[in-house]
Amino acid sequence: MSESIVPESELEEVELYHAKSWWTEKVFTQDAKLIAVQYGLTAFAIGFVALVLSWFMRIQIAFPELSIISEGTYYQFITMHGMIMVVYLLTALFLGAFGNYLIPLMVGARDMVFPYLNMVSYWTYLVAVLVLFVSFFTPGGPTGAGWTLYPPQAILGGTPGQESGIILMLVSLCIFIVGFTMGGLNYVITILQARTRGMTLMRMPLTVWGIFTATVLALFAFPALFVSAVMMLFDKLLMTSFFMPALVEFGENLTYGGGSPILFQHLFWFFGHPEVYIVALPAFGIVSDLISVHARKNIFGFRMMVWAIVGIGALSFIVWAHHMYVSGMNPYFGFFFATTTLIIAVPTALKVYNWVLTLWKGNIHLTIPMLFCLAFIVTFLNGGLTGLFLGNVVVDVPLSDTYFVVAHFHMVMGIAPVLVILGAIYHWFPLITGRMLHDGMGRFHFWVTFIGSYLIYFPMHYLGFIGVPRRYYEMGQTEALYTSSAADLNVFITLAALAVGFAQLVFVFNVFWSAKKGIVAEKNPWKAASLEWQTPDQPPVHGNFGKELPVIYRWAYDYSVPGAEDDFIPQDVPNEKVKLAKGHSQLGVEST
Amino acid sequence: MSIFSTLSQKPWMADQALVDNEHMGKSMTLSLRKATLFLLLIVIAILFTLFSVAYIGRMAYGDWRTLPEPLLLWWNTAIMVFSSFSFYRANVNADHNNIKKTRIYLLVSGALTISFIVGQLFVWRELISFGYFVSTNPSYGFFYLLTALHILHLLGGLIAWLVVMLKSFTLKNDPVNFALKVNLCAIYWHFLLIVWAFLFVMLLLT
Repeated sequence: MSESIVPESELEEVELYHAKSWWTEKVFTQDAKLIAVQYGLTAFAIGFVALVLSWFMRIQIAFPELSIISEGTYYQFITMHGMIMVVYLLTALFLGAFGNYLIPLMVGARDMVFPYLNMVSYWTYLVAVLVLFVSFFTPGGPTGAGWTLYPPQAILGGTPGQESGIILMLVSLCIFIVGFTMGGLNYVITILQARTRGMTLMRMPLTVWGIFTATVLALFAFPALFVSAVMMLFDKLLMTSFFMPALVEFGENLTYGGGSPILFQHLFWFFGHPEVYIVALPAFGIVSDLISVHARKNIFGFRMMVWAIVGIGALSFIVWAHHMYVSGMNPYFGFFFATTTLIIAVPTALKVYNWVLTLWKGNIHLTIPMLFCLAFIVTFLNGGLTGLFLGNVVVDVPLSDTYFVVAHFHMVMGIAPVLVILGAIYHWFPLITGRMLHDGMGRFHFWVTFIGSYLIYFPMHYLGFIGVPRRYYEMGQTEALYTSSAADLNVFITLAALAVGFAQLVFVFNVFWSAKKGIVAEKNPWKAASLEWQTPDQPPVHGNFGKELPVIYRWAYDYSVPGAEDDFIPQDVPNEKVKLAKGHSQLGVEST
Repeated sequence: MSIFSTLSQKPWMADQALVDNEHMGKSMTLSLRKATLFLLLIVIAILFTLFSVAYIGRMAYGDWRTLPEPLLLWWNTAIMVFSSFSFYRANVNADHNNIKKTRIYLLVSGALTISFIVGQLFVWRELISFGYFVSTNPSYGFFYLLTALHILHLLGGLIAWLVVMLKSFTLKNDPVNFALKVNLCAIYWHFLLIVWAFLFVMLLLT
């Protein structure tokens, strides 16, 4: 490594907003870090509602004789659980919470470039969440159309929540998209235009690359959901026939006619599939950084990892119709989309190989974040492999309406990203609060969540293979379709789900307890090289970096560099300030 | 910024570090506001493109009826062109630090935009008087939907326009910032003119 050159002057800065009252400092705050916490708490609160809904559904499936909920309520809970988890929890957490907290800190900015817009983005998100939540208390309750909201049934009589629930759902989605767009513009422009000196795009940590690409995807994909939501609102409220075909309901001809439900499906999945990667790409980025830190080794194939993130992002726009193999579309379409779906497995597999190769001969610390990362790799691999099954038309058609699909998408899009979120919280909690999460409770939480998730979803693959249909409120008594072994398995799955749910309560307790009474974290407790840990204060205060912005001299992965005394070199330390190990006269050389 | 040359960098190499240490931290020479506006315009363009794709997709079904073309739409189009041109003039004058003329052109632009919106509402009234309601046929439904969406974007623009107008009265020692704001408004208006032209041609052709 050669000598670094210090730039002469500091980067032109964005004017920093200073709060004038308690309200503008703590509530209507414009500080991205606090906005991130607001996003996180709101997302977890509504996500907890979705978790409780899943407990009711599981109890109903395992013990139908209890009739704990009615069939209409079951569909309402399915719908709300799915939509909340995918959009209001995962998207908001990865982009709104992690994006807001980490982007400015990791690229060396004092805040987002438009703090006011950032604040409005959060409050718009909160309104979207409240509008959705209110539907639980309106006449008819929330919509039970399924999280994909397929017309025509979504807005027809007989579908639960068709009175007002579906309207509130569509309005809430539109509000969410408007709010997200404000935040998304901020994230992208902050990353492109407000990095500190020396922070080239390729020196950014993979977390930022993941969040950046996912935000671009979201900005381009959410309009498709907006279009379908607005058009369906027109169909519902103004009786247009964009998606509604001619229908007879309860013996009466409806005024609808000629509309195309398939058009909705195309629009919905043009958003829906990139949405998978809007959630997955930040998870990929975060897990790469966590593995690197906790294995004390630079990420293997950094450039490949960036290419893979960008490549997956681009490919995610041309695979959407693999969700529609059973919609009766042209078989040639199916062939095309099966091919692109298999192609997207290439960069994805590349990432998995690189994570494993990063671990190879690393100094692996089995900290809680690392445990979650390891769990993520195997879970994502599992979910990804079943995705290859379902990406093929001939395999998908018989499995499409079974529990195999439920198992697949929960593994790949539910458990895998949630494991990353949890690992990330254990990793960055000391930075956010200045205290460590309790280790014992954390390990209990990890093992119950990890093993419990497998006990829930592994058996579901088997249920799918034997043909147990998904979406059913109760399976009935037909031994041919629903064997007694399947019924027993469902009881087992439910018990596992309740155990995993309980572990999450322990986690919530741990977060609040440790924020007050946890062990005070030492500075940069994981000895990470990336910039967010190099702030003068921990937790970082408003403005992040004290008097002067840091200057960057290296990438974020200088771990175990030969010749250095410490096993990490922070990004803002020039070569001449690196302490050399005994017997070494220069960096980057094994021994002298 | 070439994405390909960026993605081929090896940030861990010593010779690359020398180049990277000199980097100023920006990827584009654009100002923050202009870069954000361009990104927003891309998102809006995608939104209208997807509506247009839905429009064309829905046309393929047998119940589609051709839209009537009220003459007023041509007048409205002309008003929109003048509004955009007036913004162009405002932009030129702001660049030359001629605040008085800028303000006049801004006023004209705003008035023309409001006229355009009112004109569009008259077109709606005309269609309704013929019995062409939003639910009569999907082609009418799309017409109301797309024009409403375009009007909504203009209304959003008018909020920015109002801010710039007020700024022109309280302007003190910040002519560069003011000129940039006028410039951003002008770009937005030109963009919405292009969107309207695209929609209008699509509606005429179908």
